[in-house]
Amino acid sequence: MNLILIGMNHKTAPVEIRERLSIACNEGFNPLDEIKAIPGVGEALYLSTCNRVEILARTQEHTNAEERIKALIYRHGNLGEEDMARCLYVYRDSDAIRHLFRVAASLDSLIMGEPQILGQVKEAYRLAVDHQASGIILNKLLHRAFRVAKRIRTETGIASHAVSVSYAAVELAKKIFGTLKGKKVLLIGAGEMSELAARHLIKHGGDQIFVANRTHERAIQMAADFQGVPVDFDRLGDSLQEVDIVISSTGATGYILTCDMIAAVLKRRKNRLLFLIDIAVPRDIDPRAGDIDNVYLYNMDNLQDIADDNMQIRRGEAEKGELIVAAEAERYIEWFNTLTVVPTIVSLKEKTAGIIQAELERANGWLRNLGEEDREGVEILANAIVNKILHDPVTCLKEESQEGSALAYVAAIRRLFRLDGLG
Amino acid sequence: MDIDMLLDAFLFRGALIAYLLSTLIYIFSLLTRRVSPARAATWILTAAFGLHTLFFLGAWLGKGYNPFLRIHDILSFFAWVMAGVYLSFQLRTKTRVLGAFVSPVVFVLMIVSSISIGGPMVVPEILQGGLVTIHAMLAVIGEALFTVASVAGLVYLIQDGLIKSRKSNKLMKLLPSLQDLDRINHSCLLWGVPLLTLGILAGSIWARTVWGSHWQWDPKQIWTLTVWLIYAVLLHQRLAIGWKGHKMALLSVVAFVLLLAALLVEKSFFTTIHRFY
Repeated sequence: MNLILIGMNHKTAPVEIRERLSIACNEGFNPLDEIKAIPGVGEALYLSTCNRVEILARTQEHTNAEERIKALIYRHGNLGEEDMARCLYVYRDSDAIRHLFRVAASLDSLIMGEPQILGQVKEAYRLAVDHQASGIILNKLLHRAFRVAKRIRTETGIASHAVSVSYAAVELAKKIFGTLKGKKVLLIGAGEMSELAARHLIKHGGDQIFVANRTHERAIQMAADFQGVPVDFDRLGDSLQEVDIVISSTGATGYILTCDMIAAVLKRRKNRLLFLIDIAVPRDIDPRAGDIDNVYLYNMDNLQDIADDNMQIRRGEAEKGELIVAAEAERYIEWFNTLTVVPTIVSLKEKTAGIIQAELERANGWLRNLGEEDREGVEILANAIVNKILHDPVTCLKEESQEGSALAYVAAIRRLFRLDGLG
Repeated sequence: MDIDMLLDAFLFRGALIAYLLSTLIYIFSLLTRRVSPARAATWILTAAFGLHTLFFLGAWLGKGYNPFLRIHDILSFFAWVMAGVYLSFQLRTKTRVLGAFVSPVVFVLMIVSSISIGGPMVVPEILQGGLVTIHAMLAVIGEALFTVASVAGLVYLIQDGLIKSRKSNKLMKLLPSLQDLDRINHSCLLWGVPLLTLGILAGSIWARTVWGSHWQWDPKQIWTLTVWLIYAVLLHQRLAIGWKGHKMALLSVVAFVLLLAALLVEKSFFTTIHRFY
């Protein structure tokens, strides 16, 4: 099959080394042309993301293409050969196919199931097409990879279930409020976590942001960042009456929001649902507030537990994904195997023999009028004509296969004569 | 094929089978915690509702009969309203998996309706008239709306418990959001109470015409007035005091269970002039 995949990812290489490669590749030159220029490389794909650098190539037998691709990587990595070699993995043929499928389906990602990687693979493929580096084998392989990724996304739960704390908060908010559109968010205290959570909420439709902070200047500043409204820290009760979601992350040692305070506010807000997120340590919100009807209180640990549990769920779903990868890789290999010369010639002959047989039967009406000898003569004639027509293409195929470049011809013949069925 | 065959064999039975199918697929969706079967179930439920609608249209236009004079048709109409109300909510909000709780109720009503076909269940001729139809129709729509409100309340309680448990849960992901469920409860009460009010008034006026007085202290009448009173109070609390969410869901479910029990007791132990079957 002569597929080779050489690469490194977050598991095999530290970020400093991955960085060197992708930076080198971003500096206005494209490695594809260089890879393609290596003698013995027929087709190539180059994929580079923050977590991986991969080169997939179809090479010809008895060439040192693999060594040359590696040499190219070492050169651009600008690092000792040994250091580099330790980070690289090399997959061949069916392993390379499976690896590509796993990458595209996000089974190999740092955060399993993250959606970006498929887009990055598609982009890499587009570049390969633009550079005319992709041919019949890689075209089919990449399209299969996209399909595998899509299947795994829809047939397994690998992409559902939030695995980060802030995304878990967004999902909960959606299960409480349905949509976040028009929902008001109050941030109490400033901090990276609360800002991140707030940004997630806004991204999913959260409307207006209120900010309260002990130092009012900081509240004004942060509110400006979110195009929100700064509120007075001493009058939290008033804003609690208005908002739907509260994210609290102050450095206070006692409770900022007590149980009584929330119970009183709830009455004033006519029991509208209230989602409280307490990401402060020590906690800002009296945990007993979570027992009040229509109040949903989550703290940092709760959210982290959910994210962790969801990661477990994703791992379980990934196993289903692996099965799909294995099955699809097998199907691809099956297709690939039809691309060899001999089976193609055989099916070509079978098809023409079938046509001759069918036509003779159709002509049986008038053939009956001939003598037996003449009938045989007609059959021999028909066979002779077909064989003459097929002779040159078959010879050509055999010659090309000697030179190892018959793939394109085989594919063309299979398509022209519909040897793979109508599909 | 004569029209009875067409109506009963094809439309009614078709609807019944489709309701069963959607119920089973909804349950499958709940068991496997996957939303895609529920999506298919919603379409099947829509198809069932379509067949059911054609059945009523056919009975009314083709045979000119009034479905509100026969008990089994009233049950089937009850089921039809529930399915229609649920589907219209499904159109507006993504409350798909609520169907898994509505669809079984609809199916059971249809089964009971199909079993009672053939019994003596027609409203006596003396009671037949325009107001009876309006009375029965409005009362059934009102009560069907309360049933949907209570089913939404039940799902609310489940979802509320799941969110309060603060654990990752696949069922939680599947069930609709609290606010959507609460909104369904709200809309159902908001429409159900006035409709049932009008239905009771129509019945009362008709009772005066045929029985001589507006009110007979009949168990069925008392039961219906209780239903009206309870849900009217709930609606009032909801609008005026702001009872929402958990409390409202809980009360809807409790009210429904008590009323259902009372109905069974009434049916088993009391005779009533309001029974025609």
